[in-house]
Amino acid sequence: MTTKTRRDLVGLGFISPWLIGFIAFTAWPFLRSIQLSFTRYDIVRPPKWVGVSNYQSLFTNDEVFRNSAWITLKFAAISVPLMIVAGVTLALLLNANIRGIAFYRTVFFLPSIVPTVASTAIFMWILNPQIGLVNGLLSKIGITGPGWLNDPKWALWSLMFMGLWGVGNSMVIYLAGLKDIPIYLYEAAIVDGASPVKRLYKITLPMLTPVIFFNLVMGVISALQYFTQAYIMTNGGPADSTRFYALYLFDRAWRYADMGYASAMAWILFVAIMLLTAALFGTQKRWVHYGG
Amino acid sequence: MAARSLAIVRWIGVSLALVFAIWLYARPARKTDATSLRRYPNRISVRFWHMWSAEWKDVVDRIVDRFNKSQDKYEVIALSVPGGADAKFLLGAMGGDPPDVMAQWNPVIPTWAEGGMLLPFEDIMSPQERAQFERESYPIVKRVGQYKGKTYGFPIGLQVKGVFYMPQAFKEAGIKEFPKTWEELVSVSERLTKRDKEGNIVRLGFMPGSWTETAPLFGGDFYDFKQGTLTLDNPKNLACLENLVAIRKRDGYDAVSRFQSSLNSSSYAGGWPFIVGAFAADVDGPWRVEQISKYAPTLDYATALVPPPKGGTPGAGLGSGNFMIIPRSARQKAGAWAFIKFWSGLEDPEVAAEFYVWGGWLPPSDAVARAPIYQDYMRKHPQFRTFVEAISSPNIRAQPPVAYQVFVNDAITKLEDQALRGEISPGQAVSQLRTKVDQEVLRRKRLGYDE
Amino acid sequence: MNKISRLAVHVALLALAIPASLPLLWMLSTSLKSDEQVYSGTGTHGSTLGSLIPHPAVWSNYPKALSTVPFDLYLRNTLTLCFICVIGAVISSAFVAYGFARIQFRGRGPLFALLIATMALPGQVTMIPVFEMFRRLGWYGSYMPLTLPSFAGVPFYIFLLTQFFRTLPEEIAESARIDGAGELRIFSRIVLPLAKPALATCALFQFLGTWNDFMGPLIYVNDPTKYTLAYGLQQFMSAYGGQWAELMAASIVFTVPIIILFFFAQRTFIQGIATTGGKN
Repeated sequence: MTTKTRRDLVGLGFISPWLIGFIAFTAWPFLRSIQLSFTRYDIVRPPKWVGVSNYQSLFTNDEVFRNSAWITLKFAAISVPLMIVAGVTLALLLNANIRGIAFYRTVFFLPSIVPTVASTAIFMWILNPQIGLVNGLLSKIGITGPGWLNDPKWALWSLMFMGLWGVGNSMVIYLAGLKDIPIYLYEAAIVDGASPVKRLYKITLPMLTPVIFFNLVMGVISALQYFTQAYIMTNGGPADSTRFYALYLFDRAWRYADMGYASAMAWILFVAIMLLTAALFGTQKRWVHYGG
Repeated sequence: MAARSLAIVRWIGVSLALVFAIWLYARPARKTDATSLRRYPNRISVRFWHMWSAEWKDVVDRIVDRFNKSQDKYEVIALSVPGGADAKFLLGAMGGDPPDVMAQWNPVIPTWAEGGMLLPFEDIMSPQERAQFERESYPIVKRVGQYKGKTYGFPIGLQVKGVFYMPQAFKEAGIKEFPKTWEELVSVSERLTKRDKEGNIVRLGFMPGSWTETAPLFGGDFYDFKQGTLTLDNPKNLACLENLVAIRKRDGYDAVSRFQSSLNSSSYAGGWPFIVGAFAADVDGPWRVEQISKYAPTLDYATALVPPPKGGTPGAGLGSGNFMIIPRSARQKAGAWAFIKFWSGLEDPEVAAEFYVWGGWLPPSDAVARAPIYQDYMRKHPQFRTFVEAISSPNIRAQPPVAYQVFVNDAITKLEDQALRGEISPGQAVSQLRTKVDQEVLRRKRLGYDE
Repeated sequence: MNKISRLAVHVALLALAIPASLPLLWMLSTSLKSDEQVYSGTGTHGSTLGSLIPHPAVWSNYPKALSTVPFDLYLRNTLTLCFICVIGAVISSAFVAYGFARIQFRGRGPLFALLIATMALPGQVTMIPVFEMFRRLGWYGSYMPLTLPSFAGVPFYIFLLTQFFRTLPEEIAESARIDGAGELRIFSRIVLPLAKPALATCALFQFLGTWNDFMGPLIYVNDPTKYTLAYGLQQFMSAYGGQWAELMAASIVFTVPIIILFFFAQRTFIQGIATTGGKN
């Protein structure tokens, strides 16, 4: 057995749990849903083949599809970079050695732990145009706040604003990443007389890039599938300004009993995500530093 | 914190956690839910799923308990599925493991019936039962629970909306009697609206119902039950929408929108906006009467039918309700039917009347309405009478019984919302509605659906 | 860290901590209010931070909330599920991630792409085939569909751990390899201990995910004695709106264990001790 073959076997051995799980639990549902996208399927009756009809309708005849795709892309394009900047900044601050840092870290992680049903209620109150906190504070300085979640022009931004509270999740990951940066690098830099800012740019950020990359890819993937908060808080409204792709998909799948159509939508999204992700992976070599 | 004291705290924490875990796991399963564990293990179990939670779940549990005590062949086991119930039902039915009976209020009956998932009640009713059902039920029952001539949803509580109003507010504005026509109500409502110094609405004079609820008063309808066709762009529908938009414009598009969102989104308990004086007149449903009597028993309010416009249809409105469905693949169909008969009042209206009182639901038939318990309830809550009167009217409409009903409803809601914000004109809303639905129907035809 | 930068950090954190803690404060305050207080008045502008203080504090919401729903039962079930899923997910994901990160085997690239691809399809459309599959396996009505798949590794954690493992320099493994250690030993003795923060992070996320999972138990479990806390919480939301005060009380009870867990488990993820003099 050559070393190469041996290495292949070892590698496959390590990933075997996932591989087996994939074949057992994931492969068939994936293939089946591709098949379903070429059928009409109302869940109550068996699916019936209709060829590319679903795809055709989506691309030529469905304004909501186009609209929702645009809204989702807009959302992702802004919220993902925003979350990364916020997350890294917060993690850097929370990595400081000051008193009570454990308390601060918990405080910032709290919003991610609060159950969705509660956090959406909270934000609907905070952003309430007439009796909410934000507009209340704004009125004290003489500004009439907008309708936030009730205003088609502001609803999407309100959701993005809300999304910032979830930064605790990525913050924890960045903190774990910061802990892994070898101390000797800093020590050496200090000996060389590097300032804190320089240390940040030359050591901390580069060493953090693998984790930033992770959050970037995962951020894109999840932003394009954004569903839960929109479903609970606005359900696509007002006036369809927050009708995300995943919301429309859900409606088609379960409420209009149009699972075939929804499957087609899902696979179109899949292709879009894979293309974007592939592009992101392609840029890895340019800015992500691995292996110390 | 010094490392030592932190370590001690850690150890204490761990041991506490351990003690707690042991306590948690070593306890025997209590009889936590009256209906979750079998009380009558020797009987045939009938699985009942429903979507009620909070205090309505207690009502359901009581009804189930009564049924179980009233006979000794079946035991109904209720499961509350407060979210995702439709998905769970479909998956269960697909997987060959559906419940035996389910209480539904979503517009799924046409779609599920079309797909052959539901048992038509004609298959399980005896001829006498069928005759009794036909004879006694209010007209609306046939329109909501039926699809293509067969009954797939059996009514266990109907709903129609009426006006809740504050007589005191009207008196203050110099109005002695509740307006008899729509136009009158709309015009006086302007006087009843109060604003604060910034112009925000503090009390709205009149909050009309939705477009689909109000259109029947104008003689409009979204479906022609005789012909079996959609009539979305019926000119009377348009007239109604124009009227609603005009009212909204007068009150202020933005002002009303902000006002609405400032209100308690919970319909529960003492938080209902009407109770705290947010409206002088509001269109809402019969279950509010029970709510008010529980949480604000001293409130001075009255109810009335929504007045039609001049030349409109009196006593009209949109009816809906809670319906029992039996999946075709249910295992205990007979048990399910026994339970349904018991709850709905087909079996014994006098007994069932109490359930309707508990839930604040409208009866599906005169037999229940005439039962002493129900009559007594109406005596104690005269405001409730309005709704019982309303539901018996033949002018009550239902939602279009088409397999794509949810799509139509969504389209109506969205376009109505846009019109009420002043973003599109009523005329545009109606024509867009027509276009959208036509498009969808066409797409379905291309996919090979029957409709 | 000099005094000025310390102060600056304090100020920044304090300023940000106020909005960050707002959700929890609001939850706490609502949980102690009576129903009418929850929305005090209509159309009144300028609700301030002062409206966060309930007068009077209705402590009875807590016992009421806890007795409405069989909390201890749901807690027991939820903890069981969490425990199993966390162990399954973290161990298997670490294993798989090591393979992807540290071993150059043929087909690694495409397989990794496949891993990412599994996250790119919205779950709504695979729900039915997945359900069908579990039903055919005979797992419907049990906890199996909720627990067993985590033993195959979770793509999110696999990807995360892969990134972490890749940051470790080759040299640490090289010397072990020269000494004749097998990959398994390198994995367990060298790499795993170094990745503790990342592993703890995955454990935390999995715990939270299972703790909050509502749809999973709802669909696959029919026996009410097997339901979880997430289901119990949903019971406070009726079809006509929520019982806010009690919902918040229940949510607080639901959340507090995790807050405590996080607070004490922090040191595992995070650098706690200062480096020699320098800012992180």
